[in-house]
Amino acid sequence: MAITILAPAPAAPEKPREDFSDDSDDGGVGLGDERPAKRARHSAKDIVTPGEIVTDDPQWMRGHGTFVASGRTEIVAAVAGTVQKTNKLLSVRPLRARYTPEIGDLVVGRIIEVQSKRWKVDVGAPVLAGLPLSAINLPGGILRKRTETDELQIRTFFSEGDLLVAEVQSLHQDGSASLHTRSLKYGKLRNGVFLSVTGTGGGGGVVRARRQVWTIDAAYGAGKVDVILGVNGYIWISKHVEVAGAETAITRMEEAVSSTVYSSQNDEIAPETRKEIARIRGVITLLVEEGLRVDEDMVTKGYETAVIVDAEEQGESSAYLGGTRGKKVLSLLSGP
Amino acid sequence: MAPSSATQQVLLSPAELSYLHTSLALNPPIRPDGRAPTQFRPLIAECDILPGTNGSARICFADGTEAIVGIKAEVERSRPSYSNTSQDTSPTENDEEEDEDDRTEEKESMEKKGRNEWVEVSVEIPGFRDEDSMPVFLSAMLSEALLADGEFTGRLWINGRFHWKLYLDILLLSQPLSYPLPLLSLTTHLALLSTRLPKLKSEGDEDPMFDDDWDASIYLFPRNSKIYTRPPVTLLVMAVKGNIIFDPSKEELAVAEVVLAVSIAERPRIGERTSKERDLRLLAVRTIDPPSRLTHPGVPDAINTATGGAAVNSIEEATSRREVTEEEGVWQPPRGGAKRKLIAEMIRKVLEKGGVAEEVLDGLDAVELG
Repeated sequence: MAITILAPAPAAPEKPREDFSDDSDDGGVGLGDERPAKRARHSAKDIVTPGEIVTDDPQWMRGHGTFVASGRTEIVAAVAGTVQKTNKLLSVRPLRARYTPEIGDLVVGRIIEVQSKRWKVDVGAPVLAGLPLSAINLPGGILRKRTETDELQIRTFFSEGDLLVAEVQSLHQDGSASLHTRSLKYGKLRNGVFLSVTGTGGGGGVVRARRQVWTIDAAYGAGKVDVILGVNGYIWISKHVEVAGAETAITRMEEAVSSTVYSSQNDEIAPETRKEIARIRGVITLLVEEGLRVDEDMVTKGYETAVIVDAEEQGESSAYLGGTRGKKVLSLLSGP
Repeated sequence: MAPSSATQQVLLSPAELSYLHTSLALNPPIRPDGRAPTQFRPLIAECDILPGTNGSARICFADGTEAIVGIKAEVERSRPSYSNTSQDTSPTENDEEEDEDDRTEEKESMEKKGRNEWVEVSVEIPGFRDEDSMPVFLSAMLSEALLADGEFTGRLWINGRFHWKLYLDILLLSQPLSYPLPLLSLTTHLALLSTRLPKLKSEGDEDPMFDDDWDASIYLFPRNSKIYTRPPVTLLVMAVKGNIIFDPSKEELAVAEVVLAVSIAERPRIGERTSKERDLRLLAVRTIDPPSRLTHPGVPDAINTATGGAAVNSIEEATSRREVTEEEGVWQPPRGGAKRKLIAEMIRKVLEKGGVAEEVLDGLDAVELG
């Protein structure tokens, strides 16, 4: 039982090609000789490949993921993905892509560099995001001007390697994001584990949802566990710690910034809580490996199923979901 | 001792390091993915994937790292060695050997000793040059384990003038996300199990002639033969405060206090394996610098100005405070060496009957060849 050695999975069989075939091996873009110029795209599951003509109807404006060759009017897909139409805008959403920051995204990031008045944060995007010193809540409550002392003590707030949850405030010309943590729910992260899932676009991976942060009531008396699903695929699972005075009016928010916001010291976490945190981590990894979307609904359902499966299994209770238990959880999730 | 640059630094915050360390120090330890301390992650293994080689294998670990090993053999002329001629005189002087046949057999078995230079191991890791310390150390550790018993090279002997030169080419296909030694060692073990050498048709010391039929080739480590042997295997074992953990992931390595690379092999046995148990033998133990020593310590709330604490005035005061107070929840890089009892316990745990080493060897044996 200690070690399981599996045979490699056989290669996926060639699926028979249907109607339009895009033979990129031929070395040419499939010009629409054999197909009608305007193809009716009914389902959102239509996948286009790079170089494929999406349409040549002049009424469409081209959006992300497409390009128009000079001198021609056809809109050609630049990435492999699904076609998205909003009003008159035609864009192609890539199947697999690095996270591209949008304004308002809740992201989990790791400090990579500390510069004179800002930090550089890794959010899984092609470019490091910036977090200026003016964009964080300073402890001590009262609105105060950032002084030179703050600049000199910049490492007491965030140092290299620290994890934080923030929101994207704005985007620069080159696509880099500017973050801020000016809210009580943002700030430095502790009391938990970090998990990174590379988002597979188009359905799988972490999706933008209504609620990215929520609390699970864990089983086996483990108390409450916070889960933060960053849109960039960085996830934080931790023990829920009550922040005193979190329910204050926005005018008095600055006073309510607690003194423990920038603490690097973990609180006491019981072994049961740690085990449940490991279980939730396993559930999310399982969802990602199967290509299912990761959002509050799926994670909560997956966690409940995992607890049920663990209770049913004979032998010692274990949070490990890598082997047969994981398969059971998946079958229960997808079944009914 | 392997250099610290061998283990890739995983960037973690002090809070995460403290959480992982405390979880692993509990009794029983709670690993980040919930595994038992002796549980390995599932891996995918296959043999005989390179048709142009004498033996090959590929193993993929669950964290995405992948390695391929190809083994090729070449007939090489043996250099005349001076030691052989001096040994000639001893059997004739031995009064106990009366039988003429026994004496010639003894002489032959002494001559059949191989030389370490008949085996050449090369390790290639993406992103590292051939002369960088990591590939050099890894190839030294792997060849040391292979040549430790002194009997392996004897299999490469053809006759007095020729021998097989074995080239082990070990390629790590993925980036070295975690210390690649156990992956490379398991893949080498599998590749050696699948290696076949052409059958010798010539006799005595004449120029070697081999059977053209590849189906008649003999395995380097034959499954069913009078003498049963197996190639060695190197495992990575780590310890946190008395808890011994196998197959550590890179986060677990980042908080380890002791990391050992233990090479084990089976003693050669005459006859079929009667019982399920294997007679294991320890070949080498190498310490590996845990990356946890290079991390920055966490700042406890008491001296963190951001949390209302009073900052210390000097570095000396900070370090002395750190050594005196051991606060829960604050990460401290491990100081000092490993206790001898702990290292002995780790080695014992690897070698115990029905333990991890036996399961790994059993699992590798079960992989289908070809």
